[in-house]
Amino acid sequence: MRKSFARLLMIFVAGYMAFATVASAASYPDKPISMIISFTAGGSSDVQARIMQKYWNKLDTQPWVFVYKTGAGGAIGSGEIAHAKPNGYTIGGINVPHMVLQPLTQGAQFKIDDFSYICQVVNDPQVVAVRKDSPFKSVAEVFDYAKANPNKLKLGLVGPMSGHHLMYLETKAKYGLQACEVMYKGAADQNAALLGGEVDVIFGNVNDVMRSLEMLKILGVAAEKPSAFLPGVPTLREQGFDIVSDIRRGFVAPKGLDPATLAFLRQAFKKIALDPEYQAEMRKAGQPAEYLSGEEFEAYVRKQFEIDKALLVQFGLLKK
Amino acid sequence: MLGYVITALGHIIEPLNILLMLGGLIGGIVIGALPGLTATMGVALMVPVTFAMDPISGLIMLGAIYAGAIYGGSNSACLIRTPGTPSSVATTFDGFPMCQAGKADEALQTALLASAFGGVVGTFFLLFMSEPLATFALKFGGPEVFWLCIFGLSSIAVMSRDNMLKGLLSGGLGLLISTIGIDPNSGVPRFIFGYYPLAQGIEIIPAMIGLFSFSQVMVLLGSNRQFIAEYSPSKGAFGRVLRKLVADCKINLLRSSTIGTIIGMLPGAGGEIASIIAYNEAKRWDKESARFGTGIIEGVAASESANNAVIGGSLIPMLTLGIPGSAVAAVILGALLAHGIQPGFKIFAETGDLAYTFIISQLAVNILMVPVGYLMAKVMAKILNIRLTLVAVAIVTLSFIGSYAISNSMLDVWVVVGFGVIAFFGGLVGLDTGAMALGIILGPMVEENLGKCVNLAKAEGSIWQVFLASPISILLILLTLLSILAPILLGLRKKCRKTPSCMETLS
Repeated sequence: MRKSFARLLMIFVAGYMAFATVASAASYPDKPISMIISFTAGGSSDVQARIMQKYWNKLDTQPWVFVYKTGAGGAIGSGEIAHAKPNGYTIGGINVPHMVLQPLTQGAQFKIDDFSYICQVVNDPQVVAVRKDSPFKSVAEVFDYAKANPNKLKLGLVGPMSGHHLMYLETKAKYGLQACEVMYKGAADQNAALLGGEVDVIFGNVNDVMRSLEMLKILGVAAEKPSAFLPGVPTLREQGFDIVSDIRRGFVAPKGLDPATLAFLRQAFKKIALDPEYQAEMRKAGQPAEYLSGEEFEAYVRKQFEIDKALLVQFGLLKK
Repeated sequence: MLGYVITALGHIIEPLNILLMLGGLIGGIVIGALPGLTATMGVALMVPVTFAMDPISGLIMLGAIYAGAIYGGSNSACLIRTPGTPSSVATTFDGFPMCQAGKADEALQTALLASAFGGVVGTFFLLFMSEPLATFALKFGGPEVFWLCIFGLSSIAVMSRDNMLKGLLSGGLGLLISTIGIDPNSGVPRFIFGYYPLAQGIEIIPAMIGLFSFSQVMVLLGSNRQFIAEYSPSKGAFGRVLRKLVADCKINLLRSSTIGTIIGMLPGAGGEIASIIAYNEAKRWDKESARFGTGIIEGVAASESANNAVIGGSLIPMLTLGIPGSAVAAVILGALLAHGIQPGFKIFAETGDLAYTFIISQLAVNILMVPVGYLMAKVMAKILNIRLTLVAVAIVTLSFIGSYAISNSMLDVWVVVGFGVIAFFGGLVGLDTGAMALGIILGPMVEENLGKCVNLAKAEGSIWQVFLASPISILLILLTLLSILAPILLGLRKKCRKTPSCMETLS
């Protein structure tokens, strides 16, 4: 009698636990989700996430709690996400090529394999910008000048080890550009240097040059299609230079996420990203939105990893 | 412009805006006074709140928090020798000695009036001279900022009264500590000893909390005192301070505020540097410079007026060029952009209503600061009447919470403890914590800009050409040399005065 009762109890307990796991998976999320931002509050990454938050809150589900983990160019925050418990309650923003370069060059505590990719939200292409009164009228003129006067053209980049730096390396590899590159800590310093005359040309981002657009001349954008924020500016490809270089922002969770949870997140983010009101707000804030699904984003990151690694090795910035 | 100013005045007196200004001021002062919570954090936390508001009201609130927080830092600087925000480092040099001498209320009122004055001066520059000043700010490139930082470092020689060598060593140690982290010129980690979280470097705020506050708690506990300082509120402190400032400190205040505005305009250089340079300039040009550091009004006035003037200065390039002059200005810029407002010279024309209302609100905030700060200072000063052990516990708790709150990193808490211990034992052998803090603050800026100079030299052909290229650089080099040589020359002259034969040869 006791034996069968004990067995019954065990079956009941096992059944209950199975039910509870299934039930909790089905009821995700049932508590607030931590959103890790790897850059300072008020910056572009934060502003973009806040806009998304507004539309996430409309989905009538658990709220996001913003956690700022800054430092090492975003590597500290990315490391946090990678090491968090993969239960769907910690997600965060991520930037490419930062997430590719930091493990390669800085010994950062994460690898690109450590994430479950939710989606991409921003594609901010690099641009070639000069002052309004600059004698350069096209990208070709800039490159020709550099070729004729090696190391005399002063080029401002944010870096080292950044999207701009990679664009410069790519240009050097493909077109032999030999300029005097000057590294700046951030876009604000870089733009100020261009406007003040310390450098002659910069490889900047659409999002950054938008702030002083009236004092700059954008010669070209390193994208596949022209940018809606820069009407009339041709792409580098249209000018005969096959350079596509950009900074991407997306959202990720730690690797090993339950497939149902990941699907939920991907669905929710997709819904927000395709909402026309969200897109209008992104345009108003000067953020170049571009949605890519989780799988596409992951494929892009892996491709970039190979390309960037090869570039760094080519220029001796990375031991093989 | 007058039309916009009048409309702006109309906006200012709207009840909601007045409420936001007062609330922002009070909140800002509290945030600034708490060690570890900074102006940047306070403003950043309130940015999402502004999304629900009209952009004008939102900006007014953010501006009020900014001004309140920069003033608020002086409260803890004077009372517990902890700069509540990095901009108040120099206020501890004279503010805390004043407090220890029983003149806490005078210290607080000086900080208040000086801050309000500095804020008003900075706003005047913003209102009337933003365009020419912004263009001038752009002329500060890598070499110029490099020499400005070297000039700031040279002020260590002026700062350490007793032993210049110990001051220089402390500053050098600070510079060495600032190299921990990622090399700004090659992107490679340095001195992290395999512990990756150190890649973010030693954050300046936890370091300062440790150097000044934590170590001070240890000193006070070891001193067997009942209270931090003797304090009995003296009547008429406000009036006394006001009279003294008007009578003796006019030039000091004007000079410090101008220094604050100019340094505020430079992206990257902020309140800490401005207040220290202003303090040292006040000391240099004072007839009895030995008094500085013993607890005099002039010292507090110089530091506090400079750091509030930085506010107006940092907003100049932010509004006109979209290039923020300080971290808080960067956050406010983010808020502007999120509201869809484009900075640029045309901000005064197309969105002139917003721009001028914001500027006029800064003037209003700085004037409102006086009564609000006066009342709050009276409350804050009561801390001195609480038993030391309780205050010490509170300071340590706040230090830990505040430093953790910066980047949610336990490393910062360990930095506080570590630097507290270093400063405590170092203080026994003559370590100059002010010089060390200066080294930690200026180290990264010096290195970054030196890197830019070296990079530029590839194009110019020679690094000397880069270093000596512009008149600004040369002026700063001369000021630095003057700063280093002046104490030596004055010392020689003093020695000479004692010997009659030397005097005859001189005259």
